[in-house]
Amino acid sequence: MRPASLALALAVLASAATTATAKLDTDATAVKVRYIVTDVDAAVAFYTRDLGFQLEAQTGRDFALLSLGKLQLVLSPPVGPGSAFQPASDGRRPEPGGWNRIILETHDLVGETERLRRVGARFRSDARTGPGGRQIVLEDPSGNAVEIFQPAGN
Amino acid sequence: MTTLDPSSTVNVRYMVDDVETAVDWYTTHLAFTLLSKVAPAFADVRLGKLRLLLSGRTSSAGRAMPDGREPRAGGWNRFQLVTDDLGAEVRRLRAAGLGFRNDVVTGPGGSQILLEDPSGNVIELFQPAGADGGAR
Repeated sequence: MRPASLALALAVLASAATTATAKLDTDATAVKVRYIVTDVDAAVAFYTRDLGFQLEAQTGRDFALLSLGKLQLVLSPPVGPGSAFQPASDGRRPEPGGWNRIILETHDLVGETERLRRVGARFRSDARTGPGGRQIVLEDPSGNAVEIFQPAGN
Repeated sequence: MTTLDPSSTVNVRYMVDDVETAVDWYTTHLAFTLLSKVAPAFADVRLGKLRLLLSGRTSSAGRAMPDGREPRAGGWNRFQLVTDDLGAEVRRLRAAGLGFRNDVVTGPGGSQILLEDPSGNVIELFQPAGADGGAR
């Protein structure tokens, strides 16, 4: 184990010790993110063709599991048989959209943006720069946000 | 050819109403560790391979879009935290006074519940069907 990995492991252990009752699995090999999509097939096509995700599993129009590196992206329609479809206690129904998003890093934001424009991707705005780097947000076919990010100094 | 880099860390950005409050909440209740903080604009916290970026309104991610839309917290897209004892997790978090968007619901893949952070962002707590520790 490299020193950095060891330090991280110790930090994780230390934080787990301070919240001894938490039973969350911090050692998982992948991070799962769930996006609500109106059309699973269209979403699978977008993420695999335009962003380089791999299709790991699909159950018709009800579910798909994609992967990119350590990210596993679960695609769920707003209605269906799975556990993702229950409305909120106040009656709100799941829907795509919002501003929370996965971030995909690149070392060439300009090139990546040009490539995505050529394949017809929709962007919410032009690229913008902050202290940490430069980002642009595009939308999947359901209107979910996906951020492309280039770290500063890269 | 894409230049997107599948690294060993997964980065997810959540918009939050108050960065300090969000940092306290994620580190206290979900055992995230603080990586950096530039309040009130931004902080990032880590749990395992997940790096969660918390962006306030004054961050570069918080500025309005050209069409006037303003980034805000909420929505239904979320990261998932896996547990082997969802009942115990829910009891622990309810005892701490935290709010859930719904009750535990079970599907073919397992059981889940939606926890809300102080800004109304959702976190999915998930126990795989038949699992004794895992969803790998």
